[in-house]
Amino acid sequence: MAKILEVREVQKSYQIGKIAVPALRGVSFDVKEGEFLAIFGPSGSGKSTLLHLMGGLDRPDTGEIIVDGDNLQKLSDDVLAELRLRKIGFVFQFFNLLPRLTALRNVELPLTIAGVPERQGLEKAASLLKLMGLEARMDHRPSELSGGEQQRVAMARALVNSPKIVLADEPTGNLDTKTGWEIVQLMQRLNKEKGQTFIIITHDPHIAETADRMIFLKDGLVEAVKEAPRRNA
Amino acid sequence: MKMSRIISIAWGNMKQRRLRTSLTTLGVVIGITAIIGLASLGEGFRLEIRNRMQQGFELDILIVIPGSFTTGLGEFEPQEVSRVRNVSGAASVAPLMTLPRTRLLNEEGEPLNALTVAGVNFQELAQMLPERLAPLEGSIPSAGENNTIVLGYKACFLNESTRLVNVGDNVTVQFGAAPYNVTKELKVAAILEKSGTSGITNFDYWAFIPANTTFSLMKREVYNIILVKVSDVEESEEVGRNVEAVFDNPYSVSVLVPLAFMRQVDRILNIVQIFLMSIASISLLVAGIGIMNIMTVSVMERTREIGILKAIGAKSRTVLTMFLAEAMLIGLIGGLIGMLTGYGISYGFAYGLSNLIQSQQSSEVAYRTQNPERLSINPVFSPEWTVIAFVFAIVVCVVFGLYPARKAAKLDPVNALRYE
Repeated sequence: MAKILEVREVQKSYQIGKIAVPALRGVSFDVKEGEFLAIFGPSGSGKSTLLHLMGGLDRPDTGEIIVDGDNLQKLSDDVLAELRLRKIGFVFQFFNLLPRLTALRNVELPLTIAGVPERQGLEKAASLLKLMGLEARMDHRPSELSGGEQQRVAMARALVNSPKIVLADEPTGNLDTKTGWEIVQLMQRLNKEKGQTFIIITHDPHIAETADRMIFLKDGLVEAVKEAPRRNA
Repeated sequence: MKMSRIISIAWGNMKQRRLRTSLTTLGVVIGITAIIGLASLGEGFRLEIRNRMQQGFELDILIVIPGSFTTGLGEFEPQEVSRVRNVSGAASVAPLMTLPRTRLLNEEGEPLNALTVAGVNFQELAQMLPERLAPLEGSIPSAGENNTIVLGYKACFLNESTRLVNVGDNVTVQFGAAPYNVTKELKVAAILEKSGTSGITNFDYWAFIPANTTFSLMKREVYNIILVKVSDVEESEEVGRNVEAVFDNPYSVSVLVPLAFMRQVDRILNIVQIFLMSIASISLLVAGIGIMNIMTVSVMERTREIGILKAIGAKSRTVLTMFLAEAMLIGLIGGLIGMLTGYGISYGFAYGLSNLIQSQQSSEVAYRTQNPERLSINPVFSPEWTVIAFVFAIVVCVVFGLYPARKAAKLDPVNALRYE
């Protein structure tokens, strides 16, 4: 399978006061198209930083990240925004829905930004919410939805622009175990049905186990890579 | 992202914070109200002053005098007068000869109250100044009636109750130094209505006699004032220059152009108006600072939201536009409301002010123009000022919104998403 994402010797540190705190200290790996990858590690291991870098929300200090053939280092902020809009879908731990908008409008938002006509955008958003089993909750605001429902709305939003890669930052971190599992199963189903690449960050080993491949990150370095036997068989 | 969607999102955000938005908009409303109110009221005030001055001044009449106020007065020869008659832009010309050292006596030998005795062509002058030469009693003599006199209202009275002369009476003109050996009997043809003070002079104290009579009294045919009525008021200065040019020595005459004086007053009123408007504009600037303040708070509150927008692919420019759209909408709405309240308030003020001045005016006993009409200030709806004020409102809002909007646009998405 073709590589959809390459991470090459990426280093990133944060300035806290006068001290530079390294978050990533030279990380390299590839992600294949259609893969379901888990990045696993304890908190402070640099997982979220890595995800932000892969999604073009931030830039590495050194090293390269290539997404679908584009070297992110070489792209301007506007082009990066365009890339996030067209090729990447984000799912966050705290859902990050806009509280003022209904579920439907939240899902439509990326299409609005992309300039898709309103009616067409709403149709697409509605169809994704149906896919998530939320057809009855479309006109509810986030505050009227349960955590699991909110995360499914967030998933619908991440998928509405048909991105090649979905990046999920602790998508189950704010949900109870049962709901968390439902979300992971939904992701895996979408991954299989639509062939989109999923990269999820988790510190839950059970969830990491379900992935095609698991990258174990510790102290800003890849400590281990584990292929799941189930897919290879 | 389409502009219409950005505006509708901005509008949604504003509705979300209704009280805050209304208060911010109120600042703009007050600013625009002040500007529009002052502009329309000031313009109305200016027009009223202009009207009043036009009434008093007879703007279309130039006064040509020989010499100047400083060099002393001279005289005009008849051929000079006829040259003035041919000046282009002059609709009509009336020469006058005011007689020096002249007394008028009634049939009882009492002197009349006439301060100035002028030899004129009655019909010519009456045509030029029909309102000033409106007879109260009798009628203005035709050109042929030589031995007649027309008296200003106050020339006929010693005081309010004592009348000195009636129409049909004879009046003796004494000319020259005592013992007044040059005299002439004239018959009173008309007594004029009170004309009050005016730009030229107060005709109430004048007596008009035929020009021929003055010539025979003086034994010379000369004039010392030429009135020139211009066909177009706006060309007054031009006609004035043309008049000067017909004299052999243009420096030997003075042409008084009332319009030039008017224009000067107009300029002064303009400066006052601009001064008032700039004070009013300060209130709009204060409103702008209010917008900046509120939007800065709003950007902080919405940091996370901005982070989300950026994460899902909104460009910095889109975020910038979104916030500027809010500022613009505040300017737009505030401007519209301010325009309505501005005109409303200026009409209210004008009404109150007119009443106030009216009551003051009627309580004073003084010389007024013919009819001491009610002073009426009518606010003027000026499309230019309306457009300027409206654009100013939007520009101020957008300019002051620029700082917070840029702050929002520059937010780092990662930090913004972490913001609690």
